[in-house]
Amino acid sequence: MARHEMQPDPYPLQTAADEHIYFSREASSGGRGFAGGGCGCN
Amino acid sequence: MQLNNKKRRAGQVRESIASLSAALLAATITPLASSAAAQDYSNSDNYNRDTFGPGIAYSELDSALLVYKEGDGRVKAIEPSTDLSVHGPAGQEISLGLVFDSVSGATPNGAVPSDLPQTFVTPIKAQGSTATVTSASGGSTIIHLPPSPGDLAAAALGRQYIVPANALPMDRGFHDHRWAINFGWSQPMGGIYDVGLGGGYSIEQDYRAISVNTRLAQNFNSSNTTLSLALNAELDSSFPYGGVPAPLTEMNPQWKSPTSRGKTQMGFVLGLTEVVARHWLMQLNYSFDWQSGYQNDPYRILSVVDPASGEPLSYLYENRPRERKTQSVFWENKFDFGPTVTDLSLRYFRDDWGITSKTAEIAERINLSHSIYVEPSARWYQQSAANFFDYYLVQGQPLPTYATSDTRLGKFTSLTYGVKVGFKPTGRTEFYIRGNYYRQTGDGHPSNAIGQLQQQNLFAGSKAAYVLIGYTWDFH
Repeated sequence: MARHEMQPDPYPLQTAADEHIYFSREASSGGRGFAGGGCGCN
Repeated sequence: MQLNNKKRRAGQVRESIASLSAALLAATITPLASSAAAQDYSNSDNYNRDTFGPGIAYSELDSALLVYKEGDGRVKAIEPSTDLSVHGPAGQEISLGLVFDSVSGATPNGAVPSDLPQTFVTPIKAQGSTATVTSASGGSTIIHLPPSPGDLAAAALGRQYIVPANALPMDRGFHDHRWAINFGWSQPMGGIYDVGLGGGYSIEQDYRAISVNTRLAQNFNSSNTTLSLALNAELDSSFPYGGVPAPLTEMNPQWKSPTSRGKTQMGFVLGLTEVVARHWLMQLNYSFDWQSGYQNDPYRILSVVDPASGEPLSYLYENRPRERKTQSVFWENKFDFGPTVTDLSLRYFRDDWGITSKTAEIAERINLSHSIYVEPSARWYQQSAANFFDYYLVQGQPLPTYATSDTRLGKFTSLTYGVKVGFKPTGRTEFYIRGNYYRQTGDGHPSNAIGQLQQQNLFAGSKAAYVLIGYTWDFH
């Protein structure tokens, strides 16, 4: 359980990049964290 | 996003970010050195990664570069980001993150395709000129001249772009830069396992977001259960190029008033993290979010079509409700099977615009050795349409209060496939590269399409390939 990959979010920059892409292309956001993307992504 | 080219400004932004990040990282690393001296030991797990167990001060530096490209000449983006976290021996943590985005390419404007060429028009600023005046002593001065009457007359006509027959209408003048900074602080306090504060600031050429958040987490059940509550507040400002268009008015080249509109967003995430068994970690979140204010895409239009032929007759700016409430339930499970780790997550989302969505995601990390792993992944996503979504409006029918043709608010399914390869040259460093392919599919040929629209693909969904290259470094 102490292994890095077993942590809830072991690669936060990777998660942030994914969520930014999905936020800018889909109507849903949040779940793992807050909704919204802090951008006016078109 | 602004529709004009500002490369010079982008260069200044990049230089500013580089200077700022260097200064901030230096300021944050300094106190780390003194705390690390007191606690300079660590352990490695079976997979050659330092565990930095409890009571050890250390820092993590994460950096990543995202390169994103959509098909058909659409959006391209390059996004470097970096994150520095400093961990104290008593569970304290401070973090600082920086992100920079450069985005360009073509983006659908919301109009339907036609079997005839279509002309669209957007505002453009009248540009002045410069003149060099040389003095008797040989020195020279550059004088900026205001726009001439000819410049003003040309600008009044706006920027026109023509879309060929049977092509998806896209504006190819899309160009934007964004940079964002975020920070966080957390530590145990007063018997509470974790108390945190954070914030963020994001700025692009036509949008700004400021957010603050706070978090409380408490452990129970011999630290096998963690309950957490996180609150978030965000204040956004949209200041589109050309001003804020009046909803459902005809597309035109005039500069509009007001020039900006705001949006407030508040939300919370209630979380439960449970060590279900020795090799099974589970996380369950409920999220609620409320948004109030300007939610329109100021550049997005809808076609108004002839009721018989389906030919576009005019184009109206879209309009969305000012309020939106969203809820989601997110459930993630991680299973440690020794050389492999399975990460399975599900999400259900709904809002009061009529959108519901389901998401399922799986990643399988396979440790090939102590220093190399591969991780294939897949994601399935499906959403229903907002109740004010339509591909187009019909001439002669009553104008609805709200209307958008933004495919992102329509019904579609998306699939993402990816594979990641990681390499750990030491127990404290890791390089990884991940490639993904993303594709949306939707109904581009609705049965009620009118006239020539029956021959067109009305779904403007995107497909994209992107690569993320990352580096992590844990150090004392």
